[in-house]
Amino acid sequence: MKERHLAVAEIWSVLSAVLIMLLALPVASPANEVNIQSDSIIRVFERDTSSGSDEAVVPGYEYLQLDIGSLTEEGLSFHLYGWGRHDFADNDFYDDSSAGELLYGYLEYTKSVSNLNVRLGRQSIFEGVANEAVDGMRFSTDLGNYITTSLYAGQPVGLDSTNGRSSDSIYGGRIALHKGMLGELGFSYKKTENDGDTAEEMAGVDISVFLPGGVSLYGRSVRNVETEGWAEHSYELDFSLGDFNFRPYYSMFKYEDYFATGANSVNPFKAMATTGEEIDLVGLDITWLESATWTFGGKFKYYDYDIADTNYYYSALVTWHGEGMTEIGGELGYMDGDLSKQTYLLTRLYGYWDGLGDALWVDFATADMVYASYDEDIYNQDYSFFSSLGVGKTFMDGALNIKFSGDYSADPYFDDDLRGMLNLTYKFDNSN
Amino acid sequence: MLKEMLLPLAVVLVTLGILGACSTMESSYQLPASHPSAADLEEQPRNCTNCHDPQGENIPYERFVHGPYWADNHRQAAYQGERVCGLCHQTSYCNDCHAINVELKPSLKDQTGNTRRMPHRGDYLSRHRIDGRVDPTSCFRCHGNPKSAKTCASCHG
Repeated sequence: MKERHLAVAEIWSVLSAVLIMLLALPVASPANEVNIQSDSIIRVFERDTSSGSDEAVVPGYEYLQLDIGSLTEEGLSFHLYGWGRHDFADNDFYDDSSAGELLYGYLEYTKSVSNLNVRLGRQSIFEGVANEAVDGMRFSTDLGNYITTSLYAGQPVGLDSTNGRSSDSIYGGRIALHKGMLGELGFSYKKTENDGDTAEEMAGVDISVFLPGGVSLYGRSVRNVETEGWAEHSYELDFSLGDFNFRPYYSMFKYEDYFATGANSVNPFKAMATTGEEIDLVGLDITWLESATWTFGGKFKYYDYDIADTNYYYSALVTWHGEGMTEIGGELGYMDGDLSKQTYLLTRLYGYWDGLGDALWVDFATADMVYASYDEDIYNQDYSFFSSLGVGKTFMDGALNIKFSGDYSADPYFDDDLRGMLNLTYKFDNSN
Repeated sequence: MLKEMLLPLAVVLVTLGILGACSTMESSYQLPASHPSAADLEEQPRNCTNCHDPQGENIPYERFVHGPYWADNHRQAAYQGERVCGLCHQTSYCNDCHAINVELKPSLKDQTGNTRRMPHRGDYLSRHRIDGRVDPTSCFRCHGNPKSAKTCASCHG
């Protein structure tokens, strides 16, 4: 309980600091642009809860995004995004009737001359071996024409519920050598500690090479420093012949190095780290941009394991593009497992009709259907059927968007499941 | 505790100082803050290479073309070129899928945005039993730490 109070105190300290800096923004920043986006969502569906059978569950969600400061030019800015949920029916479907999360909230300073970027606060970091949410600081800059660096340090948000946050830390960075039309070579590293003990330590190299003839090579290798083994090698080629684009690829994942992430590790992945399994993936994606109207695609994937038997996946898709956002498409996929319990057929048809405002009260309508057929029953049922219909209308010159959708599902988990959702999106933007 | 913190803090401050000084050097291509919007362009930008050279001198635009399999394949482009992604997408857009803790699966949060090919569309609860056995590494990327695995915990412990 004491640790929880400390964590709350830390959060209030950070929020107070951010608010003080936010109040200073009008003085410190040459531009005072404000972007606000609010997504309010109400869902309605029925579930068996501890209160009874077929109880109505009515969760309401609010996703709020706020961006203030110099947003379209260099300078200081503040960014925040988070969500909250309250169960209006409050009938014990959720563990807690209210929940939420601050996904990011940080101050950012940018300077164009060196692509300098400094962030302070809660932020997502995607680069090199990092796919992390961090409470801390990140700094990135170009060093001359050919080198880009970044460093970050702070506390890992993913471990905040694992024995509290005391002595939790994360730090890492990436250095990349790049030459415009030749490519880029990056080296990255991250180390995460939980209660002062190493939870995860990864190092990686990533590469992109632009070869003559429009052929590109992309790839990355990741080494688990703790287990002293290669967790992943993923490499792909990308090239086009006429309107056809080809992407052959290869990946290898060694479970004992990929899933062995110390205190970061969770079920069901924790157990996989001890299986001694290794998976090799070989695949090919083909895209045919036949015209501005028609797109065709094909996918083949081969899964080879050290211990388990092999699997194959094949799929094909077609998309028709109309005016505006109008699009109709379909996809057929088949997972060909060595075991029947790993085999299924997947079918999807969808449509999005835009520009209906002149003829109908709504601006757009959507339809979606997904059907999966399983070789081996799941809870005595060998298929899943999902369908969804939706409509939407925009008001106030695009600032307010109202969308409604209704879904029906019959599958191994739910016999006849009807769900409804109302979504109100409001945008305020004074930067234009 | 304070003594333990001093050395790492000094290293970080010195490193930041050096990097800060170096950041005043001439830089490589200076990215704009954002890509012109659909309203500015008077059309919805569909494909980078409709307007840009596929093998651009500063940005390899062909790499960022959002073809039909982009949702499956954008990982490496994002890990190397996050700044390019940031020209059109704010982090909140990425956070619909890649976030530390969200309750609504991405395809559900934007149910009418059905032109985005999202892996969990439809009854993924049943399908994940198979996909998870076939390739658990793809699950791990988004559900691989104690907080992001909350959605798994009710069944997997």
